[in-house]
Amino acid sequence: MSRSTSRRFGGQGLWAWPPVAFVLVLVVVPLVYIALFSVGLRSNIPGTKTAFDLSNWKDFLFGENNPFRNLFWHSLLITVLVSVAVTIAAYPLAYFLSFVARKNRYTLLLLVLAPFFTSFLLRVIAWQIILNENGVVNSFLWWAHLRPQGDSVTWLIYSNFSVALVLFYSWIPFVALPMFVVMENMDRRLLEAAEDLGASRLTSFLKVTLPLSIPGIIAGFVFVLIPTTGEFITPLLVGGPESQLFGNQIQSFFSDSPDWNYGSVLAMTLILLVLILMLVFGRFLSADLRRPSTEGA
Amino acid sequence: MNSRLGSSLLWVYFVFMVAFLFLPLVILVLFAFNSGMTPTLPIQGFTTKWFTDAFSNTDLTSALVRSAAIGILASVVATALGIMAAIGLNAKRVPGEPVAIGALLLPLVVPYISLAVGMLILLQALKFKNALWEIALGHAVIALPFALLVILPRLRSLDGSLNEAARDLGASDFAAFRLVTFPLLLPALLSSFIICFSTSFDEFAIASFLYPSGQPTYPVFLYGGARSPAILPQLIAIGTLVIVISLLIVGLSELGRRWAERRIEGRNKANVDVSTNDTLVTT
Repeated sequence: MSRSTSRRFGGQGLWAWPPVAFVLVLVVVPLVYIALFSVGLRSNIPGTKTAFDLSNWKDFLFGENNPFRNLFWHSLLITVLVSVAVTIAAYPLAYFLSFVARKNRYTLLLLVLAPFFTSFLLRVIAWQIILNENGVVNSFLWWAHLRPQGDSVTWLIYSNFSVALVLFYSWIPFVALPMFVVMENMDRRLLEAAEDLGASRLTSFLKVTLPLSIPGIIAGFVFVLIPTTGEFITPLLVGGPESQLFGNQIQSFFSDSPDWNYGSVLAMTLILLVLILMLVFGRFLSADLRRPSTEGA
Repeated sequence: MNSRLGSSLLWVYFVFMVAFLFLPLVILVLFAFNSGMTPTLPIQGFTTKWFTDAFSNTDLTSALVRSAAIGILASVVATALGIMAAIGLNAKRVPGEPVAIGALLLPLVVPYISLAVGMLILLQALKFKNALWEIALGHAVIALPFALLVILPRLRSLDGSLNEAARDLGASDFAAFRLVTFPLLLPALLSSFIICFSTSFDEFAIASFLYPSGQPTYPVFLYGGARSPAILPQLIAIGTLVIVISLLIVGLSELGRRWAERRIEGRNKANVDVSTNDTLVTT
């Protein structure tokens, strides 16, 4: 049996390209269309004259007190705050799993991750049921006579608080995971060395464990920041008119009050934001699909 | 800091967080069996009425069937493309490798809302009417990176000499794949299928823009129904079923992982750490 060298050294690599073509058609082409719409080169209204036109971009970027630009900054602020909060809350969880719960750590990790594997939409709806004006929390307060019947805590739902709480809730498991992986791969001998040299547990945590877990912390932070920048389901269900995010504005430009061209400016902004985040933080994300270098070429 | 005290505090924190994470799920299960018309406290009494109501609500059941069909189609397509991509990236030389990797991971980072409106624009440009198969293809593309990230590590962990032996014994490339590689990949393909299916089954953004009128998928129906008190209890009942099934799958895959771990431990003590990490990430 003779095996042709060309097949061994190139042929199989071509198998990657049909899936790549699939992504190009279903992701890259739509993104190109969004770009074309955002500069007026395409329109969804038949018979409209289309021409290169930056007026929507100018309005969004430089228009005085532009409400959509204000919403963009407001959303970014909320998502960054939520991401920071989630990262801080998830770190002790990962630390607990990796350093305290040694023996059963994979089972306990699964316990943390399990809710994440159930429907996101259902969990948001559950929070709506919990926080509603006559929901679980308020009806409990009435039932326990802690508040007069019918008098509900207003900030519990349709507020920035409810949106932030549900986003915080949704991402904790996902953020704990990369931190846990980094801690598991940490060289434990360094900790032993620190303790042998007389460091207290606190000192060895601050000087060894914490600095070594920074890649996991950053990865966790980006893991929540990237998906929440485009989040719109949570504000739809538990947010009020004042607590809608940038994603909701995009959605409404393409449904309720259609202006696909202006909506494309916002959709493009979101994509550019994510690409910038990837350029800055990408090296901390471990989805490295290149061949392990030991194999060589 | 006293280390015993530190550990106890972390235990308390862990238990508190797990309770917080499970709270919404417990609330759903609780109200699925509550006889009251609205999900409020106190609990009125026990009933299974909402389940029977839900299953006789044809709008709801047909939405479930639609989502199941879309989910199956999407995960078959994503897993098949995932196998191809994994074989390609596993080759000694990959033409245009950086571009290929970038493209294959792109769906992970593009915000779903931007992707959804982009697909809407594309379909309008092609003069296609909204259709369920379009949603399935949209879901397949967002699930593809997950399929690849599950299948590729498994493919890399396989012993390449098995495949070579098969070909030396006269098997064609395809026969070697079908008879050697494919059976060894099956556990990863199953994980991939489950992950892709649950991604699709829960996806709202793309479906909400592409569903044909009168034919909502389950999440689209769920979203609409969450605002109408009359059918909310039925949605909670079905939601409970969906959640219990998801948790069962998670639990079973953990049992499978432990079983595989014991087998590997028996066979090869040295590699155990690597293998457990691997299976965990892929489940």
